[in-house]
Amino acid sequence: MLAGGLLGVMLAACGGDAAGTVVPAAAHIRVGTRLAADQTLIRALDTMPRSFDPSLLTDVDAQKVTDDLFEGLTTFGLDGSMVPGVASSWEMSADGRNWTFHLRPEARWSNGDPVTAADFVYAWQRQVDPKTGSEYAQALAPIVGAMAIATGHAPVASLGVEAPDAHTVRIALNSPTPYLLYLLADSYMQPVHRATVERWGDDWTRPEHWVSNGPFVLREVIIGNRITLVKNPLYWDAAHVRAPRVIYYPLDTLTQVGRFMAGDIQWASIFANTQYRWLKANLGDQVVIGPYLGISQLAVNMLEPPFAMSRDLRLALNLALDRRVLTEKIGAGVSQPAYSLIPPLPGYRQQEPEWAAWSDERRHAEARRLYAAAGYSAAHPLRVQVDYPTGEDNRDQYDAITAMWLTNLGAQVEPYNEEFRVLLQNLRLHQSLLFQDSWIGDFPDPFTFLQLFQTGFDQNFGAYSDATFDGLLAAAAREADPARRYGYFEQAERRLNEEGASIPIQYYASKHLVKPYLKGWQLNIQDRMVSRYMYLLEHEGQ
Amino acid sequence: MTVLNFLGRRLMIAVPTLLVIATLAFGLLHATPGGPFDSAKQIPPEIKHSIEAKYHLDEPLWRQYLRYLNDLAHGDLGPSFQYRNTSVNELIRAGLPVDAVVGSLALLAALLTGGVVGTVAALRRNGPWDHVPMFFAVLGISVPVFVTGPLLILVFAVRLHWLPSGDWRGGEIRYLILPVTALALPYTAYIARMVRGAAIEVFTSPFIRTARAKGLPTRIVVLRHALRPVLMPLVSFLGPAFAGVLTGSIIIESVFGLPGIGRYFLTGAINRDYTLVVGITVLYGVLIILFNLLADLCYAWLDPRVRLQS
Repeated sequence: MLAGGLLGVMLAACGGDAAGTVVPAAAHIRVGTRLAADQTLIRALDTMPRSFDPSLLTDVDAQKVTDDLFEGLTTFGLDGSMVPGVASSWEMSADGRNWTFHLRPEARWSNGDPVTAADFVYAWQRQVDPKTGSEYAQALAPIVGAMAIATGHAPVASLGVEAPDAHTVRIALNSPTPYLLYLLADSYMQPVHRATVERWGDDWTRPEHWVSNGPFVLREVIIGNRITLVKNPLYWDAAHVRAPRVIYYPLDTLTQVGRFMAGDIQWASIFANTQYRWLKANLGDQVVIGPYLGISQLAVNMLEPPFAMSRDLRLALNLALDRRVLTEKIGAGVSQPAYSLIPPLPGYRQQEPEWAAWSDERRHAEARRLYAAAGYSAAHPLRVQVDYPTGEDNRDQYDAITAMWLTNLGAQVEPYNEEFRVLLQNLRLHQSLLFQDSWIGDFPDPFTFLQLFQTGFDQNFGAYSDATFDGLLAAAAREADPARRYGYFEQAERRLNEEGASIPIQYYASKHLVKPYLKGWQLNIQDRMVSRYMYLLEHEGQ
Repeated sequence: MTVLNFLGRRLMIAVPTLLVIATLAFGLLHATPGGPFDSAKQIPPEIKHSIEAKYHLDEPLWRQYLRYLNDLAHGDLGPSFQYRNTSVNELIRAGLPVDAVVGSLALLAALLTGGVVGTVAALRRNGPWDHVPMFFAVLGISVPVFVTGPLLILVFAVRLHWLPSGDWRGGEIRYLILPVTALALPYTAYIARMVRGAAIEVFTSPFIRTARAKGLPTRIVVLRHALRPVLMPLVSFLGPAFAGVLTGSIIIESVFGLPGIGRYFLTGAINRDYTLVVGITVLYGVLIILFNLLADLCYAWLDPRVRLQS
């Protein structure tokens, strides 16, 4: 058995804190700090959330809001690491398959009801129940029975979760799932108030019916304009929540920048890469970028020629790209070049291929050799189309990529952009040969990226299938020891590199504009910065 | 033909027109690749089926179409697909007043400034009072709102801090000034040029020459004799223009963060929110028909030579 408190500390220490000190869970502000009189937080969202029901929502912007409204068994710490939420402690069985969580008795819903183990069991059963129509029920896949229920083959009650008493939750897992603590904090495992959901049906998320258990409650929603949250005085840690109100504005990229510069919002969550240098020159430290748990890569169709049968060709295209030019010249230095699938993760040794360190000349020469070995030449060039979704910074990127293939190999690749949903449909039908395959990890664990190349995985759009690779993932799934598990993942990633399974381009960055007087947040790889910890210093123009 | 008779005939034509609009919008949207509940994450078929059943997307298309028409006939535009538990009627009820306020004010401002500037330019033809305003009018028509909007924000919100950079706040005046100005600019320019052209034509016509020959002062000539014929071309322009601003300017709404219909329409199209997009298209059709009808009635009232015919 592993004590929950200790695990929490380990995760926090893994969170990139070199000194090993534990980051406090709440906004403990130093005595003597001069705070602004009005602590209202004003933040931007990139799109209007489509729902505020944690079991139904799928978009990142909705998650940002529900992170403030609900609290799972675990929750996001100041630095994005996992800290105790409704659960104050937990234990894991030796085989890593059974977890027991102990709920804090003081946790309350915003209507005064105690938050009980049954609330969690209800929320999770609701999440996997096909009748609910949750678009992300498979988030609960590690739990025993979840997928059988979601696909209509088992009753909802068979989900491997139970509430032996009001303050204990037990979860049975299919295999050791070290990232369970991250799943528990996320929207799809946050609790919902059963009586409210059952009384109001879909309308329970309207502000007038609203009941939640997080630091804030929903006060007002104006679609396309603004979402207002107010502090939940019944939240168990309300004493440490500074903001009486949080206002979220869903705004377009350019509009966010204007609003921020006018001082009408304190936090902008996006800007175009092309604006980065100008903003940095004009706003200085208010422009904040950090690593993000996502990769932009190109994948190939493994069912059809030319890529399916030619590893040499895949590698040739891979080696012919100059990532530094793409990230620094085209991308203005916002993102980091990627040579391998998995972004930097705490405790994981990235498996960059040997050629990542080569000089351009040597790499290009090898790319040309592979291109020729695959049977292509100036007289018989590769002619193919690369499909990518229409988007802000994409066009320049693909113009540069195809130009590199033309210059370095003589390959004639045509960039072709399509609306995201159209591209998605083509990918599902395996109609594209070479395409952008971006992925944002659901939790900071290599598995969320590696599964993209697992045989039979839904989002394996290239239909990549390799028994060796699948075997390594299966071995990792059985492994309860974290270090050995990561060892399998490292082997699996190397295998992908050798096979040229994909063409990694860059690791995404999180981009923010933050007023200097807004404190109580830290950059983190999942880009989760909850309002609970934030506060405003005294500043001009209040 | 009486006015009532005229109205009756026009409304009878409106029904099949709207039916065609609704059918085309419905057909085109459903023909577009990608559905409202497609996402990068694949949904288990059973769950997808339960979502689609909720919105009747599992039925054959003809039945969905008939169901939609039936609801439409009862004034129900259906549930929005992208915003869970929100109906299209609700979205339009919330968004239409925003566009109505911003749009009416912008058109009113455009009409007043454009009318005055155009008339003065016509009266002082080929002088500086003509050339300078007409230069700006060409500029106003040529520069798109996605340039003027951010520019206004940059000057008045970011640099001078006189006005907020956007937001709605229930139509508070401070929040209205910039979006109304940005929306009014191209209309002002257009109206000024149109009024100038019409006024020049009217001022040189025999009945004005007669009025002048009788020794009437310019003020009386303009207001009593010239105004009505000058307004004629404006009326046919304002009808569709008003329908246009009522259904929202996507750019103005995005730039200033206004909760109007235009942005719903845009995100609706991207997210394949079938009911929302068809609903707004039908609404636009209704408004166009309505305002064209009003324009025709105004026409008849302004010009005794016009006879109402359908």
